[in-house]
Amino acid sequence: MANNDSGYIKKELPKSVGKLGAILFLIGAVTGLIGFFIDPGRAAYSYLTSFLFLISISVGSLLLVAIEYAANAVWSTPFRRISEFLAASLPLLLILIIPLLLSVQSLFSWSHSAEVAKDPMLQAKSVYLNTPFFSVRVYVILILWGLFYYLIIKYSRKQDETGDQLLTKKNVKLSVIFIPIFAITVTLLSIDWIMSLETRWFSTMFGVYLFAGITCSALAALTYIAVKLKEKGYLHPKITKDHFYSLGTLMFVFISFWGYIAFSQYMLIWYGNLPEETFWFMQRWAGGWKIVSIFIIFGHFIVPFAVLLSHESKTSFKKLKFISIWILAMHFIDLYWLVMPGMNANGLEYSFSWMDISFLVATIGLIIYMFNRMFEKHNLLPVKDPKLQRGLDFHL
Amino acid sequence: MARSDKLYSVAAIFDKPDGIIHAAEKVKDAGYKQFDVNTSYPIHGMDNAMGLSSSKVGYVTLAAGLFGGTFILLFMWWTLAESYPLFIGGKPFFSLPAFFPITFETSILFGAVATFIALITVFFKLPYNNHPLHDTNYMKRVSVDKYGIYILAEDEKFDKDEIIELFKSLGASSIELIYLPKEEKYGMLQPKFMLFLLVVIVGISGATYFTLNKLMYMTPFNWMEYQDKSNPQESSLFFADKRSMRTPVEGTVARGFIPYPYKGIAYPKEVLSNPTLPSKEILKLGKEKYLTFCSPCHGDYGEGTSRLNGQFPTGPTQHSDKVRNYKDGMLYHIITNGQNSMPAYDKQISRKERWAIVDYIRVLQRAKNAKKSDLVEIKKESSTNGQ
Amino acid sequence: MSVDYSKDMVLFDRNPELVELEELISKPIDTRPSKKYFIALAITSTMLLIGVIAAGITFYYGIGTWGNNQTIAWGFGITNFVFWVGIAHAGTLISAILFLLRQRWRNAIARFAEAMTIFAVMCAGIFPIIHLGRPWLAGYLFPYPNSMNIWPNFFSPLDWDVFAVSTYMTVSILFWYLGLIPDFATLRDKTTSKIKKIVYSFFSLGWRHSNRHWRDYEKAYMIFAGLATPLVLSVHTVVSFDFAAAIVPGWHSTIFPPYFVAGAIFSGFAMVVTVLIVVRKIFDMENIITVNHLDKMNKIILLTGSMVGYAYLMEVFISWYSGVPTEQYVAINRAFGDYAWAYWIMVSCNTLFPQFFWSRKIRRSIPAMFVIVILVNVGMWFERYVIIVSSLQRDFLPSSWTYFTPSIIDLGILLGSFGLFFTMILMFTRTLPVVSMSEIKAVVEGAQPSHHGGAN
Repeated sequence: MANNDSGYIKKELPKSVGKLGAILFLIGAVTGLIGFFIDPGRAAYSYLTSFLFLISISVGSLLLVAIEYAANAVWSTPFRRISEFLAASLPLLLILIIPLLLSVQSLFSWSHSAEVAKDPMLQAKSVYLNTPFFSVRVYVILILWGLFYYLIIKYSRKQDETGDQLLTKKNVKLSVIFIPIFAITVTLLSIDWIMSLETRWFSTMFGVYLFAGITCSALAALTYIAVKLKEKGYLHPKITKDHFYSLGTLMFVFISFWGYIAFSQYMLIWYGNLPEETFWFMQRWAGGWKIVSIFIIFGHFIVPFAVLLSHESKTSFKKLKFISIWILAMHFIDLYWLVMPGMNANGLEYSFSWMDISFLVATIGLIIYMFNRMFEKHNLLPVKDPKLQRGLDFHL
Repeated sequence: MARSDKLYSVAAIFDKPDGIIHAAEKVKDAGYKQFDVNTSYPIHGMDNAMGLSSSKVGYVTLAAGLFGGTFILLFMWWTLAESYPLFIGGKPFFSLPAFFPITFETSILFGAVATFIALITVFFKLPYNNHPLHDTNYMKRVSVDKYGIYILAEDEKFDKDEIIELFKSLGASSIELIYLPKEEKYGMLQPKFMLFLLVVIVGISGATYFTLNKLMYMTPFNWMEYQDKSNPQESSLFFADKRSMRTPVEGTVARGFIPYPYKGIAYPKEVLSNPTLPSKEILKLGKEKYLTFCSPCHGDYGEGTSRLNGQFPTGPTQHSDKVRNYKDGMLYHIITNGQNSMPAYDKQISRKERWAIVDYIRVLQRAKNAKKSDLVEIKKESSTNGQ
Repeated sequence: MSVDYSKDMVLFDRNPELVELEELISKPIDTRPSKKYFIALAITSTMLLIGVIAAGITFYYGIGTWGNNQTIAWGFGITNFVFWVGIAHAGTLISAILFLLRQRWRNAIARFAEAMTIFAVMCAGIFPIIHLGRPWLAGYLFPYPNSMNIWPNFFSPLDWDVFAVSTYMTVSILFWYLGLIPDFATLRDKTTSKIKKIVYSFFSLGWRHSNRHWRDYEKAYMIFAGLATPLVLSVHTVVSFDFAAAIVPGWHSTIFPPYFVAGAIFSGFAMVVTVLIVVRKIFDMENIITVNHLDKMNKIILLTGSMVGYAYLMEVFISWYSGVPTEQYVAINRAFGDYAWAYWIMVSCNTLFPQFFWSRKIRRSIPAMFVIVILVNVGMWFERYVIIVSSLQRDFLPSSWTYFTPSIIDLGILLGSFGLFFTMILMFTRTLPVVSMSEIKAVVEGAQPSHHGGAN
């Protein structure tokens, strides 16, 4: 049943891409390492921000793959491999988490026994917020992600050879199981690694907020690479503007969703005006953070919303490239804005540090490097996917 | 509809969607401008085949939506921050987060309604129930499952036979000539129309009259407004004295309120002591009450110069030695109990106000008998105040 | 039977002729209804009558006839309001969101779902108005200064509700009517009765199926879908603000907006499935509204039901995690307090029973899904009941803690709202095409040109 004359020819990326990734990663990693020696406390915060950024892109991409299977979407099938490649850093997270676990003490005030002894609120939460349980949790989460990544990708690649429809069926099943697991794990991750930086704060919406940001960034990464590959002629010629229009629309939808969630969360806390909630936003409205907050409102919502509103810009390669890079940058700033003011809660004074940049550079390098590696080894098009032909024939 | 012999258009019916797309392309390529395709559902790719540009409806929505949002935001600003500023929940008068939901809803409302109205009237030019195509065999068939195309007689290139040939060559399953309907003339003064107008006028004015003069004044039920109870000062047939208000039982004392102990005694042996301090507020209150209740008989400065031109007995001066030597409590007693022809004022003036009046009288007395040192003090004060 | 992933979803069990579709859809309008129809109508209009009487008693004697008390000022009235608004949302979801997602299967059910939206919003709109006690003063809900020159309080989520629900009603009706215009035209050209012809001509506005019109029509339809999508989300978001903007523990929770929206879609889909199961049977539309359609809808029920379950989990977990005693107390009180019975009905009906839909067999079995969707309807009603009543019954003032018992009038009005809803649906099925003819024709195989995808 599967069709195989998709007309796909495998092409190599220029050597410079892999080199660029490796160099960026090395520069970032080395300077970051120096940072850890100079000021381990400050470096931990920078590392955490970049780590969350890496998580966003990798697990977000896996989520996109899973959604495609679960929703039985066809137009995105020709793009699926890009997301699969982007998710390739997922197994590495198991190693990359170690520096963070080593610096739990410098990140989280609940990990200091002296603090806990002073504060009854921390004592009440210590059942959940304690270093052993915390480390186990994050490992369970990362292993689960790794497992699903491994299985889904394995079946997807196997299909390139066999074209067996059963493999799609298996992946559909895996995906529908992965999606609820993703929902719960991302929520736990958001509570553990971001919300608990400021131990007293809580918001039931927070997991959804992070989810919205993650999806935006994964989509933006996918769009940027897809446009870039299309321009350089790597993509199938039957992938037309209609496909990119759909990508643009999806980005538009998730940007709006992010705006909706962010507004609702802020509005309810602002309206309720309870001291146990508002302090979190007040912290982000003090000093220079106020500018960052306002910038996020515009940069993460209003600008992309306005740019992506028109039909024309959703099909224009130039605008898509611009806005996807913009969204990625904004997602990083958003994470920065979530994490960094937590330093004050931990008794540290925030100031900008070069380490923030070096870890970001390392992350970007890693993503490029892994993408290139996957690109070398595997097909860019799921050549024998049963949905591929319909996906290529897709028209609005 | 009766038809005239003037040709409106030549129409052809096709059985398959492929056929109609092909036909539309060919007709366009042949250079015809005034033609249209009729299908009971939109056909993909037809806009391209007919050479139509993309629709402009979106601009209406955008403009109307932006207008609606801006309008309501300004409106809320004007009502709650300008026209009648209301302090609500400790929020600023103009708070974007709280105004956002309504702004959003109104943008959508304006956008949707404007789009709909513009679509029907401007883009479709509907309603148009007497269009020549209506009630033709052609229309009846395309309305169900056939695909029709027609070229108007107005078209520059219009040539009946040539078009019929073209349609035949394209494989039309049938071809129909559509004639314009006969022009029907309707005079304004037809009795039926006049009658209709009359009915409309009477109906509308009657309904308006009823709404404004009757309906608006109807209360669905009035027992919440007029309840079975007596209002203050009302007469009542229930009690023998015909008064609805009852006097309390003898000896009733209001809560937290000790009755004045020297009530009814003309010259009590002892009096209350003044519980107030002559602060600014108290003196202000005292002045106000003094001017209201005391000054008509005792004069604005307590000099016993009545403002009532002898209609009432003139009250004695407050500056006699006798009065100046009264204790505060005695002055209070006189206000409370009355003296000679002066009635008791305890019903009109509250306790605090009575003490305030006493304090104010003391001020008047002091002003009348000021010492040198007072003047020095006043001078000092006014010079510092003047700075 | 396994799925073939290289093929699109089968929309019809047997591909119909266009004429055949038209006959089938217009049959209920043109034929005299059977006895069964009148029996059904009698039942629903009796329910409606009971509701009218109960509402009349409320107007005459006031809100005191309800079970509401000082502490629980929002009893059945607001529960029913939120319930019906929620039901309405499925209609817009199907007609707008699935349209934007290009889910072609929605064409068969969109018209019906939109009609349900309008009827459900009507049912919902009644409740806040009768809850006013003096409904003839409802005009002051709109921006109009009172005799003291004070304007409505635009800070109040209740006022946002007025804007949201009335906008929603307006846009839904316009959207619905826009879709009906071509169908009216088809009916007009088909009918032989003179009166019907006049009526259809009037409502079709003289539509001619012209492609120059279709171009703008399709664009406008897309715009309406684009407007209705954020609108539908905003409406239930605003409804959730009614609660979440307050600081009552159990109401003040930031997850309320998406949670309410998911819940609304969930309950609405359950209601759509409930009604469609009956309708497709009665009007022989099993070929148009196939088991595949129901299967898809059941999947959405499963998805949204799980989202609701996620929100329940988050609420319980964060209430513990917050460390705020009142929050913690509310969570415990809900699960084990006076209203534990309602809470567990809600949890089981909304999150456990829909999980049966993981099985493809159950998703495609009519009796099984009928039972489950009915349970979902019950569960979602109880969700609103639990949120409103169990949060209010233990407010900050222990001396006013109390229990809510609905009065017979409360139940009468609830019954009446169902009566209104189903009466409207029954009348709708006999007066208007329940499936959009122009939309369903467009997805029949062979109805679109073979080599024109659109782009070239």
